[in-house]
Amino acid sequence: MIGFHLCKDFCVLFYFFQDCTFFTRKEMLRLHGRYRELAPHLVPLDYTNGPDIRVPLALIVTMPELKENPFRDRIVETFSEDGEGNQSFNDFVDMFSVLCEASPRELKTIYAFKIYDYNRDNFICKEDLHQTLVKLTKGELSAEEVSLVCDKVIEEADLDGDAKLSFSDFENMISKAPDFLSAFHCNSRLFTVV
Amino acid sequence: MNLVRELVAMSTRDRVRAIQDLPMSFQEKKHIRWVLKHTGNKSPCHCYNLTSFRKCGSNVRSARQTLELWQGTMKEIGGKFGTSVLSYFIFLKWLFMFNVFSFLVNFGFITIPQLVIYITHPFFFKGYFNYTVMYYGSYSNETLIGAMDYKMQLGYFFTIAVYMLLCGIALIFSMANSFRKNYVLADSTSSGAWQLLCSWDFSITNERAVRQRKNNLRIQLKESLSEKAQHEQLTSSEKLKHFGIYLGSWLLSTSLTVGCGASIFFLCQYEIKAETLLVPFVVSLMNMVIPLFYSLFNKFEHYSSQRRQIYALVLRNVLFRMCILGVLCYYWMNVVACWESVVGQALYRLVIVDFIFLMLGSFFGEFLSNVVGTRLLPRLGVPEFDVARNVLEIIYAQTLAWIGIYFSPLLPAIQILKFFILFYIKKVSLMHNCQPPRRTGRAAQMKTIFTALLFFPFFLGALSIVGYTTWSLTPSEHCGPFRGLNSTFSVVEVWIKEVEAIPGSKWVVFIYQKVIRSEIFYFLITIIILIIVYIFWQVSQGRKQLIVLLRRQIVNEGKDKSFLLEKLQNLQKSQELKVRLERSTIPGQGLLRTMLTIGTLQRSRRRTVQPPSIVS
Repeated sequence: MIGFHLCKDFCVLFYFFQDCTFFTRKEMLRLHGRYRELAPHLVPLDYTNGPDIRVPLALIVTMPELKENPFRDRIVETFSEDGEGNQSFNDFVDMFSVLCEASPRELKTIYAFKIYDYNRDNFICKEDLHQTLVKLTKGELSAEEVSLVCDKVIEEADLDGDAKLSFSDFENMISKAPDFLSAFHCNSRLFTVV
Repeated sequence: MNLVRELVAMSTRDRVRAIQDLPMSFQEKKHIRWVLKHTGNKSPCHCYNLTSFRKCGSNVRSARQTLELWQGTMKEIGGKFGTSVLSYFIFLKWLFMFNVFSFLVNFGFITIPQLVIYITHPFFFKGYFNYTVMYYGSYSNETLIGAMDYKMQLGYFFTIAVYMLLCGIALIFSMANSFRKNYVLADSTSSGAWQLLCSWDFSITNERAVRQRKNNLRIQLKESLSEKAQHEQLTSSEKLKHFGIYLGSWLLSTSLTVGCGASIFFLCQYEIKAETLLVPFVVSLMNMVIPLFYSLFNKFEHYSSQRRQIYALVLRNVLFRMCILGVLCYYWMNVVACWESVVGQALYRLVIVDFIFLMLGSFFGEFLSNVVGTRLLPRLGVPEFDVARNVLEIIYAQTLAWIGIYFSPLLPAIQILKFFILFYIKKVSLMHNCQPPRRTGRAAQMKTIFTALLFFPFFLGALSIVGYTTWSLTPSEHCGPFRGLNSTFSVVEVWIKEVEAIPGSKWVVFIYQKVIRSEIFYFLITIIILIIVYIFWQVSQGRKQLIVLLRRQIVNEGKDKSFLLEKLQNLQKSQELKVRLERSTIPGQGLLRTMLTIGTLQRSRRRTVQPPSIVS
């Protein structure tokens, strides 16, 4: 089990967590346990002073929930404060909170947009789509096919004709894909009582 | 901060929800919460009550999560096979819950009073021992005298009626909910944008499954790229050929259906004693074999989209099953001598044999296909889990239960066992024999279609059979709770007459006579509903046109934006040029050039011809 000092300040911290994320207290404890498992020498047991610890990207992507996901690097980068993928416990909680089943569609859409936006210019341009496609097909499509698909995507989804997808274009497309809500979630065994 | 002001104005629960929904990092949310805490003027003990209440709420939530049935298994299946296969298991669990509710209600309101009657009047045992409490025949029409008089007749009738009503309402709400959220009449499935950006299932964690998904996505993308080219190439002779094939397969399937229906009818008449398992065996065998023929026909036909292919297959299967059930029900309505129990027994046997065949079907459909696909004919490959076929099978099983509830009140108990065991059999078969689906199907739309299928032909069919039985058919003379009455429904009439005698209950009688029994009321209600539907339809048509106009507006605004950006860029360029000329080191020439440039600019802007002020 997780053994650490549950002193009063930390309990209060839990209520902060509970109010700002979609987790219960038990799930928070388990999350902390998992976070600590990633780097036990780095993460202290006692979180009362709110230490500024960041677990690097290379360790986070070893988690079984993220290991096989082709977008794992992008997901971790999006939810890290420094943008490089080094997550503090707050970022870690944020990530799983958005990816859990209870989080609403709007929140997931916003973060999905951020994940697909590689160059962080608030638009999904052709290069972003290019990179997404390469990640999903691992170089098995020829360059011409990749280019064709990207053109097709922009042609279909771009409403205002600026050859890139803004957030409203993306949101419009997602609204026609009701499966997105169930697909964009982390199948984590964190939240089942085994 | 506007955000803080908005949040302060909300109630606590809304505020918590709003903070959870903010797309900010956790640090920022913590900061907002801290700001809120220090701007609100809540008293400390009020705060304490709220936090303790919320703690209680979250404890209840986590307790409910642990009690939820099969949650771990479902997550495992979802992780390995994706959401479309998971939708089958979710649907199975939902139907399971229907049966649990039905069993509890029937047992509580019908069986327990009957058992009490048996205990208090033991001499009744002798006459009614032909049938157990499983069937209609053993229920008496007595009244339990106690603290409150409990009439078995009314209890039986109202329990069944209320259960069917609640089922219907639950189905309608679920269907309406699904329609609203999922059934957006959108572009076709094979659109590239959807495949690329929305179809990746983030919940898959198995390495092999991920690899297969990537493979499938690549194949689908290639197909969608080549599909565009294919569309325009159908010549008229090819179209005629396709039409001929459609017509041929529809004729074949209809004749198969009619043939099976007729054979079942003659078989029923030929079978003298209803105790043999011949009819259920033949029915279940047909249910297993004929859909395979339909799948075969489907493979030969050429459809423009995968969705239409699935719809055609599902439609044929549904028609077939409805036909078989219809023939059986028609035959049952014409049996004599305690016919309700006979029908109850027939249905019970049908349910059991259907269960055996479901297990056999799992064996043949998945296990053998796997063996054939991996060892004997590797070209076929590992089979996929056929969601549509399996869902139809459980819908059919549930329909049998719904029809049988009137004739055999404890049939839901059998159904509960059946679905429970089926869940585990299907799970084991899935894990060992199947691969994840090749096409990323639209699971949410499938759920809507399943629910709609469940409701429209099957539930309404079962309801009409039960309704017809209670309304028009005479209950048998010597058994069951409705013996001696003209129809089951006359129980209510008798009851209303008794209620009339009680003072102060005129309104009940009034409602019964003027509302439930009067035809004018239903006629008026129908007219009003039709008018409302027409109005809503016109509103939705208007909205569609509005959407088209708004899209055109977005495109125009995009064009305006790019036009203005271009103009801005040109203006900036000319300003830059002007600044560069001013900074040029040779003053005389610079001045002259500046003056000339200014003159040119002024001329171009105001379109007036002005002689330069200084000429060298």
